[in-house]
Parts: sequence; structure tokens; C-alpha cells
Amino acid sequence: MVMKTRREFLKSTVLGASATWTVPLFIERTFADLHAGTKDLAVQAVTGKDDTILVVLQLAGGNDGLNTVVPYLDDAYHKARPRLAKKEKDLIRLADGVGLNSSMPFLGDLYGDGGLAVVRGVGYPNPNRSHFVSTSVWETGDPNAKSNTGWLGRYFDNACSGSDPTIGISLNKTQPEAFGAMKNPGVCLSTPELYRWIHGGGEQAEAERFFESLNAPDDAVDGASIAEPAVGRVGSIVGESNLEFLERVAMDARVSSKKILEVAAKHRTKVRYDGTPVSRSLNMVARMIAGKMPTRVYYVSHGGFDTHNGQINSHDRLLGQLDGALKSFFQDLREQGNADRVTVMTFSEFGRRVAENASSGTDHGKASCLFVAGAGVKGGLYGTQPSLTDLSQGDLKHSVDFRQVYATLLGDWLRTDPEAVLRGRYGKLGFMG
Amino acid sequence: MLPKATRPWTREEAAHLVRRAGFGGSPVEIDRIHALGREAAVESLLNPDEADGAYPLPEWARMENAMKEARDRMEIVRQARRATNGMSAEEAEKVRRQKLQELQRKARMQEIEGGQWWFRRILTTRAPLREKMVIFWHDHFATSAQKVKQPALLLKQNELFREHAMGDFRELTKGIVRDPAMLLYLDGQNSSKTKPNENFAREVMELFTLGEGNYTEDDVHEAARAFTGYTLNRLTGSVTQVERRWDNGNKKIFGKTGKFDGNDVVDLIFQQPAAASYVPSKLWSYFVEDEAPPVIVKELAKSFAAGGFRIEPLLREIFLSAAFYDGTVMRNQIKSPIQYLVQMCRELEIPDLPAGYALQSQQQLGQVLFMPPNVAGWDWGRAWINTNTLLSRYNIAGVITTGAVNAPGVDGDSNEMMMDAGEGAGNGRMLARMVQRRMQDWKGPAYEKLAPRELREEPEKLVDALIARFFQADPGTKQRSTFIEYARSKKGVVFTNHEVAELCHLMMSTPHYQLA
Repeated sequence: MVMKTRREFLKSTVLGASATWTVPLFIERTFADLHAGTKDLAVQAVTGKDDTILVVLQLAGGNDGLNTVVPYLDDAYHKARPRLAKKEKDLIRLADGVGLNSSMPFLGDLYGDGGLAVVRGVGYPNPNRSHFVSTSVWETGDPNAKSNTGWLGRYFDNACSGSDPTIGISLNKTQPEAFGAMKNPGVCLSTPELYRWIHGGGEQAEAERFFESLNAPDDAVDGASIAEPAVGRVGSIVGESNLEFLERVAMDARVSSKKILEVAAKHRTKVRYDGTPVSRSLNMVARMIAGKMPTRVYYVSHGGFDTHNGQINSHDRLLGQLDGALKSFFQDLREQGNADRVTVMTFSEFGRRVAENASSGTDHGKASCLFVAGAGVKGGLYGTQPSLTDLSQGDLKHSVDFRQVYATLLGDWLRTDPEAVLRGRYGKLGFMG
Repeated sequence: MLPKATRPWTREEAAHLVRRAGFGGSPVEIDRIHALGREAAVESLLNPDEADGAYPLPEWARMENAMKEARDRMEIVRQARRATNGMSAEEAEKVRRQKLQELQRKARMQEIEGGQWWFRRILTTRAPLREKMVIFWHDHFATSAQKVKQPALLLKQNELFREHAMGDFRELTKGIVRDPAMLLYLDGQNSSKTKPNENFAREVMELFTLGEGNYTEDDVHEAARAFTGYTLNRLTGSVTQVERRWDNGNKKIFGKTGKFDGNDVVDLIFQQPAAASYVPSKLWSYFVEDEAPPVIVKELAKSFAAGGFRIEPLLREIFLSAAFYDGTVMRNQIKSPIQYLVQMCRELEIPDLPAGYALQSQQQLGQVLFMPPNVAGWDWGRAWINTNTLLSRYNIAGVITTGAVNAPGVDGDSNEMMMDAGEGAGNGRMLARMVQRRMQDWKGPAYEKLAPRELREEPEKLVDALIARFFQADPGTKQRSTFIEYARSKKGVVFTNHEVAELCHLMMSTPHYQLA
């Protein structure tokens, strides 16, 4: 084997040479080369550079909807929760008999300004009380939790073909099931600073060039096969070997890492964010939006809602953290001039039992409420408050199917055909302006 | 029978066997297996010279201690109740919560220790195939500490898997029917004749023995009645069938009628044709290739049924078959996170990782021992890999090799606690503190031994020696030349241990290194 000098070697590899390109150009070239499917498409039309953006905010653990949006005039509520019930004076009044938990003054104001939709009684048929199964139902958009793709992954596949993997970014360590896709499962990262290859020694830049070369496929991925469906929850392509699959993910990781780090370093906000994980995540999302990422869906989690014990303080505190994070986030977006482009949807795997338990907490339940917030939202109350006396095993019965919420966002905000993504027709709720 | 491998036994094949039937090994270990010859090598894996009880369980996991603890726990709760007499409801709640938190802290610590105990065993065992089968059964009969909440019961189940690791699958299934952790995991504890719970009955057919489509809803319904009455005595730690909770009436299952109990249902299941092919197909996927070809499953099913559902002969047939050594099979399996970590340590000849780090790495990579995501176990193969887990793999290699200075991943992260922070079952913060303390002393592999000074004089020789260690095959021309170029660029006056570490880290930061 004829050995080249290091310089020659670096020059001779596509990615070695490309290190001097500007990042966006480099990325687009790389993707255009590697995913030949993009060649015939107007890629810009589906990117988020100036299009609408959806932020999905998971309240993990099962949020107690009844103490979030409170039917305070209903005697049954106070009877079922002698220790946990919120009184009228502790609430922000949204409408007659509908009070918002007062830990959320920002959302209260947003409601007053017409930027907050409160959807009540959301759930799905034959509810499951397991965190895992129910989360799976919400994420796959399949009440049987049998689908191996997620509702957002199917959106990426159906409506964003040819786009790069940063079309969807999850700020979690693991990929949310919602991103499960046939072709493009998005990327996930917990901390941008760690979402990169970290090497030792003083010559990081040089080591990185070797790393890049090793993590670039030898040949362009055959674009013709990209349109083929594939198996599993992962974005694999039919006929791809395990090594080819790994090389493609490696490239996606490296390229998206580079881009995300650059973007994250660029934008600095004057807005103050709290130190809570949810605030830090939304701060990160705001920075990526400011940095003009082509991302159309961000996924953020806020955990701790599994309030079986001593719920009063912990639940209010969690809602307060959510409110504070959203307040900073929307203010940041306004200052960037991006407020009109972003809608936030919250969801939780289930609500909680109507009656409090013996430990001043609540157990796993069924239907619950959720929020949709943003300048594009037509504020108000949607769905009906489920009865507190006509229950299903002690739980609320749902009046709105969760896929109606998805259909509304897909059709009226992301502007795609909801039926293709949800595999069925679900009535839209009209909360997008 | 599958056609046997007849070509001469090569060192590459020996390395393949060591990786797949175990967790890889050092060059010396591969030489040793190679020297045995194919048949003797396979026999040595099937008949390891290490007792099941070679690794003593942590004190708290010994059943008598665990049961004493269960009694103490009840006593503590009782005392708390007495102590709070006369207090206001809020004060009483506070006292109660304090007591509960102490107990939860203890359980979390046990969770960490239990996982550490098994990981160490997998890393250092002289019976690698047996441990690999224990992992297989743990995935197959998936049971999570997240729900069971008593780590001692999971270790007891772990011993059941080890005892039957390569034995009679029917016996193991009967053992699982009476396994305390499984009973709690699939709600068997609450299943009585007045309220039969179908959870276990369904999974035993769908996931454990037959696979979907090989039973009817009525079979599940009727079997659920047979499985009623199994009850865990929390004071003795054993499961018995309590007569008055058991439905002793006639049940009709797979067309047969009788007053069946749980054991009878297992016997009926193993009369179904699907029972002969379900597990062999999974074993082939686990050891050989992602999708088991139907012709191979058919052959294995014949052997499995004829051999009385014993695992050992099946494994022998697999590891001696020509198909196992096929060119498309070798170095084409995506390492699971456990395989990735253990194989790396074995290749680097590291006997142990700093306390907590193995667990933290498992969390980052998506496979935590004793915490499968659900009753269906983990998704294997390509599902292990996404952009985040791949970068995490690279960065964990940086920490273990010490090739990365400001090693990431020793951060405390709240995501782990997401699901059940309310109940405090997460161990995120506790673990992060532990890892932070221990990682400061991490010295990494013994590079003087792995890469002797004389080898470092010539970058090509150094790289080839490390390639043999980490890949046991040619990783490709481009890869090799890049490694060599890198080694050349690093070669100053001396090639220090740190530079060797950086080279090892680079070699592991590749798609190729993810394959076994």
C-alpha cells in the first residue's frame, strides 16, 4: 500500500477537504450527495428555516389534569379530594367554574391575551394505566401501542422527505418513540455540549479531521432505495447492511452535531431562564430556532408528575416550573422575532384518579387536559369537562380523542395531510387560528 | 441437523466464536480457544469450569436477609403509624414520608449494587456462554426492577436463569410460573379465581413460548384461570398456589379440557408445534443474524423437539454449523450496549470499571441490566443505534480508554428520574455523585502491557497490533490507513501512554467498532 503524507491524505478525502467550507453549505452538499432523494425536491419548502415550528412538551409521569385546570364549582371535585382540592381563591379564573392552577400566572395571562388553548377531557379508547404503555400510545398515535413508528416520525417521513435529520430534535437522551420513523427519525441529544465527539490532547481540530474521515461513508448512499419502507422502530433502509446503517447514523450524528454546536454557540439571549431542566431545554430550543435550524419539531420533557404521595407542593412546583420556562421561552422568541412561528403543545401519558389516595396523592388515571400555546393559537376552552360522577373505574372518561389534537396541529399548523400521518380521519378542533 | 462447518478452523473463526458465544477477549484468550480446535472450543463453552455459585451474592440479596428486611420494612411502617398518633394529618404524613424515603434510598442503593454484581460477573466470568444465556433469558422473561422494586427478588430470578441457562426450557418456564419477581411484574399476585388477571397468561404464550397467532383469546382467558392463586409469601420469599384463591374448575385450553393448574398449562403449551420453533428462532437471532432464515428455524425446531426442549444441544448445533461461520454473518452484528461495554473491557484487559460507571453507561446507551423497558424485552440490532447513542458510545470509549481528557458523561441528569421521580425510584443523582467521586481515580488500561514500548517505534506495527485486539479482522483499507496516519501524526520523540489511549479511542470511534 502506498502511504500518503498526512496532508495529502486529508486533502484526498472529501470530508477532510470540506472542513474549510462554511457549515451550512457543507451540510447541504453532504446531504444532497448522500441522500440522492433530495435531488428532485425543493428542499427548502419543508425546512423550518422560516416555516412553522411545533414544540412538543411532555409532562412525564401522568399530570393531574384536575388540579391543573380545576372545575372548582363542582361539589364532586371537593368531595373526592378533601385534602387536595383547590379553592376558588387559589385559582386563576378562566371561565365560570374553570380555574387555572395559580402556579401558572404566565399561562393565565396568555389565556387572557387569546394565546392559550385549553383542551379538556383528552384521552383514547380502552385506556391503559401503565406509564410505559400509555406513553407509547400517545407517542405512536396508536391506541394499541403496536405501531413501530411514531406520529412525528410518520410526519417526517410523509411530509419532509429529503430533509436532513435535524428536521426533528429531541432534547432527551433517548429517542422518543414519537420520532420512530421509516426513513428519518430525527436526532436526539441531551446537552449540545456533549453531543459531539470529545477527544483528548491539544490538537482537537486535527483529531477531528481523522474522526470525520472515519465516520463518513465511502460511497454515497443509494438514493433510489430511500423511498422503500423499512422495518423496525429505527430509520433503516431496505437492503442496507448493518455497516452501511451504522455509517449513515455516524454521518448524521457528526453532521448534526457540528451544526447544532455551531448554532448553539452563536445565539445569546438577554432573557433570563430558570435553572430547571425544562427551562434549560427550552432555552436550548430557542437558541436553535434563533440559529435558523431547519428543525420543524422539537421534543422536550418535563418529568416528575407521578404524584402518588404528598402531591400538593410537588405538583404546584412542577406546574410553576413549566410556567416559568414557557414565560422565558416566549419572551425570547418575541425578542428574536420568531414568536409567530412557534406553537407549543403539552401532553402527558394520562391524568390521575379523581379521588385522592390515602397518602395525599393521586394514582394513575385516564383522561386529562392539555395546553396548546403560541401566537398562532386561537385561545379558549376546547372539549368538554368530563363528568366527575360518571366515571370509568374512578377515572374521567375522555371526550376528545388525542388524535384530534394531533390532526389539528398537523393540518392547521404544520400544514400536512393528517390522515396520512395518523392513518385515519380525526375531526379537527379549530384551536389553530 | 444443520450442515456442520467442515472447513479448517481459523483464528478468525475462533475470535468470532469468542465474541458471539461470549463477550470477546484478549488476543491470548482467542489464541487459547483457537488452539483447542472447533469442537473442543465449543464444548469448553458449553461445559464451563465455574460453579453457578462462584460469585457470592451481596449480603442483602440472600433470601433470609431480604425477607428479614421485608419484615423490618413492615415494622418501620407500623412504628411510624404508632409514632404519628396524635399528630396532625400533615405532620404524620411528613414522618411517614421520611421513613419511606429512607427505605427507598436503601432499595436504590441495592439496585445499583445488584446491577454491579451482575456486570462484574459478566465481565470476569470463565463461563461467558452461560452469562450470555442468562442475559438472553433476562430479555426473554423480561422483568424490571422499576416495577418489582425488590432487587433481591431480581437476583433470585437471575439465579434461576443461571441454573437453567442451558438446560430444559420447559423446566425454566415452570420455574418462571413460580418466580416471585415475575409474579409481581405481571400482576399474578392479584390474580384469584374471582378476578383472574390475564397479563401473565397472555405473555406466557405470546412472548415466552409460542408467539402471536399460535393461540386464541379463549386459550388466554382459560389459562388465566389456571394461573390463579399463585401467591408470594413476602415473609418467606417463596411462591405457593393457595387453594382457596385457585380456580379449580374445568378449563378448555388448546382443545383439551381438565382441571388444569399452571404447570399443566405449561405442559399443554409445549405440545403445540410453535413451541419447538419460537425459542430456536430467537436464539438464532441472538447469536447469529438479525433475521433467522425459515429453513434454519425448521431444522432447529426438529432438533429442539427431539431433544426434549434442552438448550445445550441446540447451542452445540448452532456453534458447529457452517451457517454460523458464514462470511455474511461474521462481524455483522450490532453490539448491544452490554456487549459493547464488556467486550471493550475484555479487549483492553480491564478487570473492572469504577463503581457506578458501568450502570451510568448502560443508561446512556439504552440497556440497563434488571431494567428492560417492558415485558417484551429490549429491541435489538439496529434499534440500539441512533445519533445520540452512537456519540455516547464513542464518548464512553473516550472515558474508559482515557483517550478523552474532559470526559463527558459523568454529569448528573434528571432524565433518568423522569418516569417516577414522584416515587423517588430513580437513582440518577445518587449515581452521578458516586461516579464523580470514583472517576477521579480512574487510571485506564495498562498500556505498557497492551502496547509495549518497542511496538510504538513503528506506527504500522502498533496499529496492526491494536487492530488485531479490537477488530480481530481487517476493518478496511481506509480505516487502517487513517489509523496509521493518525499514529504517525502523533509520533513525537516518544509515544506516550496518553497518545496510545487517544489512538485506541479513535479506533473505537468508528462504525466498524460497533460490530461484533
